[in-house]
Amino acid sequence: MRRIFQIAGTETECALLHNGSHFVLNRPDGTIPCQLDPAGMPGGYVLRSGGQVHEVRVAVGPEATFVHLNGRTYEIGRVDPAERLAGSDGAAADDRIVAPMPGVVVSVAVKPGETVEEGQALLVIESMKLETSLCAPRDGVVAEVPFAAGDSFGLKANLVLLAPEED
Amino acid sequence: MGISKLLVANRGEIAARVLRTAKARGLVAAVLRHASEQEGPAHLIADEVVMIEGPTPVAAYLDIAQIVEAAKRIGADAVHPGYGFLSENANFVAALEEAGVTFVGPTSDVIDLMGDKVRARAFVEERGFPVAPSAIEDDDPATFVERARAVGYPLLIKPSAGGGGKGMRVVREDSALEAEIETARREGERYFGDGRLFVERYIERPRHIEVQVMGDGQGNVVHFWERECSIQRRFQKIIEETPSPALSPEQRLDICETAAGIARAANYRGAGTVEFIYAQDGGFYFLEMNTRLQVEHPVTEMVTGFDLVAEQLRVAAGEGLSAGQADIPQNGHSIELRICAEDATADFRPAIGDILLLDEPAGEGVRVDSGILGGGKVTTDFDPMLSKLIVHGRDRTEAIARARQAVQNYVILGVTTNTGYLDAILAHPGFASGDVSTGFLAEEAETLTAAGNDMSDLLMAVAALSDERLVAEVMQIPELHRNMGEWRN
Repeated sequence: MRRIFQIAGTETECALLHNGSHFVLNRPDGTIPCQLDPAGMPGGYVLRSGGQVHEVRVAVGPEATFVHLNGRTYEIGRVDPAERLAGSDGAAADDRIVAPMPGVVVSVAVKPGETVEEGQALLVIESMKLETSLCAPRDGVVAEVPFAAGDSFGLKANLVLLAPEED
Repeated sequence: MGISKLLVANRGEIAARVLRTAKARGLVAAVLRHASEQEGPAHLIADEVVMIEGPTPVAAYLDIAQIVEAAKRIGADAVHPGYGFLSENANFVAALEEAGVTFVGPTSDVIDLMGDKVRARAFVEERGFPVAPSAIEDDDPATFVERARAVGYPLLIKPSAGGGGKGMRVVREDSALEAEIETARREGERYFGDGRLFVERYIERPRHIEVQVMGDGQGNVVHFWERECSIQRRFQKIIEETPSPALSPEQRLDICETAAGIARAANYRGAGTVEFIYAQDGGFYFLEMNTRLQVEHPVTEMVTGFDLVAEQLRVAAGEGLSAGQADIPQNGHSIELRICAEDATADFRPAIGDILLLDEPAGEGVRVDSGILGGGKVTTDFDPMLSKLIVHGRDRTEAIARARQAVQNYVILGVTTNTGYLDAILAHPGFASGDVSTGFLAEEAETLTAAGNDMSDLLMAVAALSDERLVAEVMQIPELHRNMGEWRN
């Protein structure tokens, strides 16, 4: 059973297996035995892996698992490889500028049809009282700017679409 | 003029903190809530929760008429504004006065004076207190750019009506001056409805040191010592401490007495904070006076043993201050960490999410002023600050150790927070040495956000084993296949 885990921007594909006596995690660098047992505190577990024992606190969200380990908190994105294949809409990630936060458009610097260079400011947004400039991820041509100055948008809204690159 | 029922016109951690003291003093205490707002600790503490309405939650908390009406309706004889929102709004004070409700804070005249950075500066300068070289647009708008140039680089542009770092711009080169002035003006108009600006010389590697003052409005003013607030990101403080590691005992007295002198000159009533820019050569300059309780007031409470909200309520009720200057000690060392929902590795971008698990630290010398509850949602409706972790130790070394231990044990799962980043600051040798400036976080950004030891294997194991669907699927595979399955890699 496979999962893609995303930690600090890095994706790793793993498989969880059970060999009859214990779980093992099969990852590109090899296989590690692992065991997770509930502990007393809410969300508390004891993790045994590779000869080490750790206390962890865990909360499982819809798309990510949050783990408190050794005084730090980590977020691990979970992707089911099968769902990723089924859910892909064909648009490449660098074709769109996605809202990092819900907010309001302050100003728009480009129009559809305009040629832009990588790093060029496309629009300014405001989220939680902070102004942020969003820049082109690559050279290209603006296909669509769905929002105008003053419009509100939600998290992950497409703020600018670039025309797909020709292969 | 006694107070028996208090309305706290605020939310989040500060509302909870004010309500606690109000109830401990035997007052009936009420708090506001907007319909779209999550339940917070304040709603559990308050005797009464008053619903307010508005197109956005923030607009509701800024609606003077509605809040004054609410105070009258519930029979509150006083309103505590907390910080932010209407806490420094002279119109609010005037409206309460007209309604016969006591405002827990200074007079509207003093709020007006100190709220206008330009007038405040002139007031301070005229009375012989130190200010930095500057140019004020209002003096002669036509020559503003020219006069700004004459102040010399680097310089700092600020909105006259501003605060909290909003709209502030550092300019190091003449070529950028005019564009930065326009940006600052636009931000000033948007945040404060006022595009007037002023510039002042930017002090290189400055510290931000402020002094807590309290006046009874009858001419008596005392200070509660200083707070060091140089650890800032985007001009906003995230770690504060007292005493400041920069000051000698003589300098400490000098800066604290200067602050008390400024407050005395304004015949100050209630709690206030005089902020200074402190230069590397030991010189200090008046920056602004905040006419309210500050976010970071708890560190002062930890070393002096005074409850500043209780003092505010005493003064508002006409009971005067509970202590003279000689009775206000500065014992040990205290540090505050602002726990914010933000991603320190992505330029402090505010984060949203559900609080799936919350376990706040406790123990000797540890205080948490929290605005969140487990099961709550963090949205973009309000400021990203979730809570404050405050520690006290016998000395700075012990305070840092306690702060590190407490922040490492602060478990907030479900939304990205800055707890790891705060711990990295506390662990930095530069912070430990105390030799910091307001540029410290920017200068050390790379070190402070560096990835720690690679925990990926452990984290992936936890993520896999806590994924119930995954585990169920794995266990459903017949044993034979289990033994041979999925070894394709």
